[in-house]
Amino acid sequence: MKKLVLGLYAIATVALMIWGFYQAMYVAPDDALQGYIFRIIYYHVPSASVAFVFFAVSLFGSIGYLTFRRGNHDRAQIADAWALAGAEVGVVFCTVVLLTGPIWGRRAWGIWWTWDARLTTTLVLWLIYVSYLLLRRFAAGPQMQTLAAVLGVFGALDVPIVYMSNRWWRTQHPAPVFGGDPGSGMKDPAMLAAFGWNMLAWFAWGIFVLILRYNVERKHQQYAEQEAEEALAANL
Amino acid sequence: MSQADILDHQFVTAAYIITWVLQLGYLAWLGLKWRSEKRNAEQRQKRG
Repeated sequence: MKKLVLGLYAIATVALMIWGFYQAMYVAPDDALQGYIFRIIYYHVPSASVAFVFFAVSLFGSIGYLTFRRGNHDRAQIADAWALAGAEVGVVFCTVVLLTGPIWGRRAWGIWWTWDARLTTTLVLWLIYVSYLLLRRFAAGPQMQTLAAVLGVFGALDVPIVYMSNRWWRTQHPAPVFGGDPGSGMKDPAMLAAFGWNMLAWFAWGIFVLILRYNVERKHQQYAEQEAEEALAANL
Repeated sequence: MSQADILDHQFVTAAYIITWVLQLGYLAWLGLKWRSEKRNAEQRQKRG
């Protein structure tokens, strides 16, 4: 039953991705100022939104782990698996943002990169979560999960700074298309529809990958626990 | 089609390809990790 639901969800996600691609490339008009290159927005911005939400998942997972680690082992492990899944899938989406942004910038601004507030804070956010994943990969011992959870909590503090950066400091990156000054937002209904479909499609894809990553981590935890129990029994 | 239009098209295509290479590459890595965990569990069951 679980496999059937996941399979149906995967099919719906692929259908949404195809529809989103069609809307972005063939239905939405060119931007009046930037022309065709503006279409990068249909996967650059949704990828950033998914990354932010998944870093929030990692934050709540980390808080959950720190809350339950002494009292409820199972809940703590579940929370830790969500924290890891959120951080890892968030890094994948954040990498997409950091790679597609410069491609857009090269055509729109004439430069690949600049140390502007939005770009720099996003790079710092990516570095924080890459260090979180490296800590989980290479640190050993029972304190690893606790250290990772603390880093997960502090790392998430950069998310609101990234979100607000192009509101607080007006540098190279454009002002927010949504939620910015009065009058901001897409005016063309076809552009708005393409943006909405792509947002939905990328969130559907992100959730699909997040659930897979969570399940892989739970399996890994269960295997590691059984191994530890067997080793303990052999020593007794 | 002007030179600028061709460049815009190439840049948009490149960004889309990079996005999907990353996403599908990660999905493939997850699949391999899943298979490895499954194999470990099967081997443990055989031993046990």
